[in-house]
Amino acid sequence: MMKRISAIAIATFAAGGIANAEPPPESQRNFVSCPIVRDTATVPCWLSEYEGELYYLGIQTDVSADFDPPFLGHRVLVEGTVSDRPRICGGIVLDPVVIAPILDFDASCNTILPAEDRYTVPFAPRPPGPSGGRLAFQRDPAPEEVLVPPYEPREYLLHYDFDMLIMGRHAPILGDVLDYATKIGASRIEVVGSSGATLLSDGSVMAEDTSIALERANEIAEILKSGGLGELAFAAAAATGQEEPDGVEDWRSRRAVIRVMP
Amino acid sequence: MLLGCTASSVLGQTQAEDQWWAPGSGLPMPAAARYPNPYGELGILNTAGDYPTEGHAFFEPIGSNGRACVTCHQPASAMGLSTALIQQRWRASNGNDPLFAAIDGRNCPHLPANDPEAHSLLLERGLIRIFLPWPPRDPGGNAIEPEFTIEVVRDPTGCNTHPEYGLESTEPTISVYRRPRMAANLKYVTAADFGVTPFSIKDSRPASRDPETGRLVNMNMLADAREPTLRTQAISAALTHLETGGAPSDAQLAEIIDFEMQIYAAQAQHVGAGNLEEPGGPPALGPHAMLEGETGVLGNNTTRYVFPMGDAWTSLERSGDAEADAQNEFRESVQRGHDVFFFRTFWISDSMHINNIGLGNPIKRTCSTCHGMHMTGMDTANGFVDVGSTNLPWATENEQNPWTEKKPEMPLFRLSCDNAHAPHPFFGRVIYSQDPGRALITGRCNDIGSIVMQQFRGIASRAPYLTNGSAKNLRELIDFYDRRYNIRYSEQEKIDLENFLSTL
Repeated sequence: MMKRISAIAIATFAAGGIANAEPPPESQRNFVSCPIVRDTATVPCWLSEYEGELYYLGIQTDVSADFDPPFLGHRVLVEGTVSDRPRICGGIVLDPVVIAPILDFDASCNTILPAEDRYTVPFAPRPPGPSGGRLAFQRDPAPEEVLVPPYEPREYLLHYDFDMLIMGRHAPILGDVLDYATKIGASRIEVVGSSGATLLSDGSVMAEDTSIALERANEIAEILKSGGLGELAFAAAAATGQEEPDGVEDWRSRRAVIRVMP
Repeated sequence: MLLGCTASSVLGQTQAEDQWWAPGSGLPMPAAARYPNPYGELGILNTAGDYPTEGHAFFEPIGSNGRACVTCHQPASAMGLSTALIQQRWRASNGNDPLFAAIDGRNCPHLPANDPEAHSLLLERGLIRIFLPWPPRDPGGNAIEPEFTIEVVRDPTGCNTHPEYGLESTEPTISVYRRPRMAANLKYVTAADFGVTPFSIKDSRPASRDPETGRLVNMNMLADAREPTLRTQAISAALTHLETGGAPSDAQLAEIIDFEMQIYAAQAQHVGAGNLEEPGGPPALGPHAMLEGETGVLGNNTTRYVFPMGDAWTSLERSGDAEADAQNEFRESVQRGHDVFFFRTFWISDSMHINNIGLGNPIKRTCSTCHGMHMTGMDTANGFVDVGSTNLPWATENEQNPWTEKKPEMPLFRLSCDNAHAPHPFFGRVIYSQDPGRALITGRCNDIGSIVMQQFRGIASRAPYLTNGSAKNLRELIDFYDRRYNIRYSEQEKIDLENFLSTL
């Protein structure tokens, strides 16, 4: 039975044996706040406010995008870098930026701003309705890989939203795992899950419950077993400890590594 | 001025009598047939040509209760089952037709036969009782540990609290009530050419596979996607709805599947729009279009379209001939209705398996975002979503107040998601539902109320709509979505949309 944490765990790492956290670099904006939708004449853009400033997170496109817009009704963890690009939709552009909806409901996160002529997103790769025949970020299919023995172990990396387990966006990676393991006749799959921590801009640390590391590993193993690799040997484990966050791309610590062994 | 009155207001909600196809009748099924409906005529094509049905497993009562597949997949109802036809059959048989069998044609088997009250959900909403084991079983028959508990809040049929049939019985069973689905155009429904991947893009869970071949399937059959193939569906339906006592033979199954795959259905003639298959007309319309259409195509784009209409009905001349001008006016309304379906944006919010798959909540999109399969308007893959048709607060039910004698008709369950899993992102840990849908198969909190989308074709022949039959006509269907997503359609948009849907 998995244990889930339902509240944001805010902690400083002093008590946990990790050095007192210094604030992130000046260019970072790591915070938890309500997402805001601003409508435009085309697709909506997503914003969030922190310490009286509005930040631009991204626009609505489709499932091919790297940016998954947040959820109204939930606050969002924003981990981004202030760019020197002109403001978009009124917000300072964070780029790169990774966002993660917070599990707990927050009914105050309900702002939809109306479209205004001064806010446009001419770079939107697809309109709000039907596409022009391509996904917003459609990639050309990779050439068929010719695999020749002896086969090499291969690693696959999954990143997670805060406090979350498997999500729909992981499906292609799991498909790649299945494909490679099947083609090489893999003998074993090792999964190592990690919990993560993020250094917020106010100097506090927001940490996942460390138990989620093993949950992530076990869940992937179970999914792969029931998804066609049930005959293989599996080893699922939690990574040792939790990486110390430094405020720069701390989202990378919320991960699982799948290793396919020949 | 509102242009283009709706077809239903012209003809009224009538359906011709004597359209019932009785099991074992031995009637030949013609290569092409027309069946009247309130909007004109449905067209059915049988690619095998004039077709004998005597001794055929789809048409013969192969079980113990006198039913056949055709009982709930009637040609006159676009291979589905309309309440108009059900009520006609009730009158004609005094409630004795096998359709009204105790097993699932009554609200619950323990209720008295021949009592309309005991069959109210079938007679009024067109609902068949679907009884499923609780907790759910995996394909190997092993119990799945669900992420939620189920409590019966309201049990108007008495079935879910019944000591023999209910959740507390020796074989705990949950009864939900669903509309029979259309057994036509199945080359589309079963196509796995687009978006079908080993792990579902909706939740990364393993997609279902054909148990015989191991091939991936698109999980677009049945309201809860519990059966992966036409073969497993036929076996399951025979065992439950037909009470066969054992699986049909391989020969019978092959006969059923072959027949199902050779049937195409769509509106062919329309009281307002005229002949839907005339040369040069919209390429999406009519049963021949369904026969010739391409499968596995995502149509939510301006290259293929979900329902390609061309521009034949975009701007039509007026000749001064009143009848011809009225038809042209109606056709333009149909075209506008298509554009409402395809281009009219609104905020889609709090819909599991739409908003949580990387699109954000809310997302500004159109009907065709979810109803994206070319020619049918289903999803191309894994088409289960929660649009609120069965989950509160959106599901339709009779209001309770001191001034009405109406009682709630549908069961209501309270589903409490445990603390060991993430809460449902839009409804939290406690969800009220008339039919938990996909969650009754997976046991997953996030699947509560997710129902597989249905195709739009032949829709004029098979009212009522939504899985719980809560929309009695096309206007109520449109109104449901208007309320659910606060679309704020204008009256003209609703008229145009109804007219468009009625031509499909």
